[in-house]
Amino acid sequence: MRVVKRRDAALSLLALTLTVAPALYGQQAAPGKAVYDKWCAGCHGVDGKGDGPAAGYMLPRPRDFTQGIYQIRVTPSGALPRDEDLLRVIDEGMPGTAMPGWRTVLSKSDRQALVDYLKGFSHFFAQGPAPDAIRIGKAPGLSEEGLAEGKEFYDKIECWKCHGRAGRGDGPSAPTQDDELGFPIRPADLSENWTFNGGGTVEDVYRRLRTGMDGTPMPSFSDLVEAGFLTDEQLWRVAQYAHSLSPEKPPRVREVIRASRIEGELPSSPDDSAWAAAERFYVPLVGQVVVKPRWFAPTVDGVWVEALHNERDLALRLVWHDPSQSPDSAWLEWQARVLATVEPREGAPAEARLLPDVFAVQFPRRIPSGMERPYFLMGNAREPVHVWRWQSQPAAAVEATARGLNRIEPEAGRQALAGQAVFDQGEWRLVLRRPLATADPTDQLQFATGVAIPIAFFAWDGSNAEEGTRGAISTWYFLYLERETPARVYTAPVATMLLTAGLGLLVVVRAQRRQQHEAAA
Amino acid sequence: MRELLKHPFWQAVIIVVGSFVLFEFGVAYLPPLLGMKSAPVPNSVLLQYMLTVLVGLLVYVSDNEQRWRRFKEPLHAVLVDPGKRALRMVLLVAVPLLVGFVTYDQLRPSVEAPLGLRSIHPAPPGQITFRGKTIVLARLENPLRADGSIAEDYQVGKRVYYQNCLPCHGDPLNGRGHYAHGFNPAPLDFTDNGTIPQLTESFVFWRVAKGGPGLPKEGTPWNSAMPAWEEFLTEEEIWSVIIFLYEQTGWTPRTWEEAAEGAEE
Repeated sequence: MRVVKRRDAALSLLALTLTVAPALYGQQAAPGKAVYDKWCAGCHGVDGKGDGPAAGYMLPRPRDFTQGIYQIRVTPSGALPRDEDLLRVIDEGMPGTAMPGWRTVLSKSDRQALVDYLKGFSHFFAQGPAPDAIRIGKAPGLSEEGLAEGKEFYDKIECWKCHGRAGRGDGPSAPTQDDELGFPIRPADLSENWTFNGGGTVEDVYRRLRTGMDGTPMPSFSDLVEAGFLTDEQLWRVAQYAHSLSPEKPPRVREVIRASRIEGELPSSPDDSAWAAAERFYVPLVGQVVVKPRWFAPTVDGVWVEALHNERDLALRLVWHDPSQSPDSAWLEWQARVLATVEPREGAPAEARLLPDVFAVQFPRRIPSGMERPYFLMGNAREPVHVWRWQSQPAAAVEATARGLNRIEPEAGRQALAGQAVFDQGEWRLVLRRPLATADPTDQLQFATGVAIPIAFFAWDGSNAEEGTRGAISTWYFLYLERETPARVYTAPVATMLLTAGLGLLVVVRAQRRQQHEAAA
Repeated sequence: MRELLKHPFWQAVIIVVGSFVLFEFGVAYLPPLLGMKSAPVPNSVLLQYMLTVLVGLLVYVSDNEQRWRRFKEPLHAVLVDPGKRALRMVLLVAVPLLVGFVTYDQLRPSVEAPLGLRSIHPAPPGQITFRGKTIVLARLENPLRADGSIAEDYQVGKRVYYQNCLPCHGDPLNGRGHYAHGFNPAPLDFTDNGTIPQLTESFVFWRVAKGGPGLPKEGTPWNSAMPAWEEFLTEEEIWSVIIFLYEQTGWTPRTWEEAAEGAEE
């Protein structure tokens, strides 16, 4: 029975796809069509207009193939991409966006067929082949002076206007950018090269500088090189400088955040040199897509966490990137555009207004003995969580009890949390500090050393219309306060070593004695 | 060399080293060369295997008086031979050092996350309340399969999937959407044959409708970022997205007959 129905299903599916075939230039029943409709149309739309059912649920939006405009190319600005450009993006995906790589999912011939099919969406490809790749030489050797020169030209050719003085995507023009379809678009945060759409190597960056990223505000700088404003080598220096802003490797995510124990006072300022003693941990944050209203366009994509403690206090240093120091009226229009662009619009309609930046660290109210913990998303009415909530304006750090994302209430008892924050060129650096033990053991977590304490992180960018359920979240991680190493960790190995050595000697001596006896006999 | 291979002591050494290499690396890396899936052998299992090998070897070398004597020769020589003095000294230092290091490694404070025991497919309830309506799960089939066009249901399911499930479960349905790295436990990979092909559609309906908060304790409901989709989707939309999951991956759902057989086994 089921078998028959399945064949029906397959047939009617085929009929459906045939009847809604888009107006293609050239290839009517192209071999790539079935693959495209099955795997790509959900975002890019059956007609390739970048308007699939998922299109509104992501920022940046999926590419509109009918325009023939492509960001990641080896060809000059304004030119069509070559087949290998299209194939590369299909294979590798686009980091920092929703586009995944398909290399391990689809066969080589399917991916090749897709390239041809995508070209069929735009009549530009019928007008002749794409030009040759821009020829690029080899990068000059890395040097201190080279990086300094790169920085000099980074400023001179005005990269900072969008990407910011420190490269964190916080330049003065950042709030006003849009793509070729008029949707809001963010300049790349150059200190996170694992999110670069076209790849994060020096060569990738140099190519983007030479070809521009068509369809986005990122221009090509080839004309400046041709006009003699800067040499090709100097443009390589800019690429090397931009690349140097990111860590050497993308951060590795670890489940346990270790708080080192130090003697003496804990640092209360984020820029205190004492933080050098702490290990850095990276926690990725993603949009809150679990409860209504959901949020598919968060600003903050991760937080660096450092933790120190002494016998009295625990201090957390939290560092995250946010191009705006909210509230900031320069971002009101951006807010309105994002709200008008991003689906779904659940709950009461949101309006652009001045909101602060907010960060929250979540703990259970008591260290769990078993594996049971409160619900990761700010707890619930039955099982609340203990929260450290900081906001930029009016500046405040308070201990709160949360029973859900919309029910975070400051605790009435004595507040023992201290907060100090610095905003520096697209980066918040915040220190939150609290005694390990407080006067209110019912609501406020009492910290202990040597155990894994559940911890989670939340960030809201006020300038991106984020508050309440619209923000960036994590699930549970663990915080581990290092305890003083017990003496037996060192004494026991010494004891076992002496014991083994003694036994060994005994065996050797006895065997030799017996040998002598036998020889004598 | 040939002499060496005939000597029971060196035979034993070769077998011990060979089995260790096979268990530690061979099991994990040889089958993938033939295109089969494999995983490293856990340390506790490795220890058991090695003990079995050792016991077998001891039985073999002590089985025959002459072999036993020859087996002991090199050991005895290390203890008494004047010519092996240097080796003797090295062993007397190296073995205690190794023992000391292993002891330290066992005792030093570790900062691993507590063991999370989580049942990925916990037992479903007999019935659920979906937006106030009681739905009995036992023997429940996907009602959409009984009437009309799977192709249309697939299209509805596709829209629902792309607007809701995509950020976590991904376009290739492999559980690696662009938000997946933010969540622990990781979103389910529907292309894995341990997931939806092992489940009846009614089970999947329950999981979609009630999400993380609807899991029983063994499913660690406090960790799961799976929303309770009854808050967002209608009953029909959920059945449609289930059709989409099976059509898109090419799996077939488990039938109630299979489920019953599985329960009897």
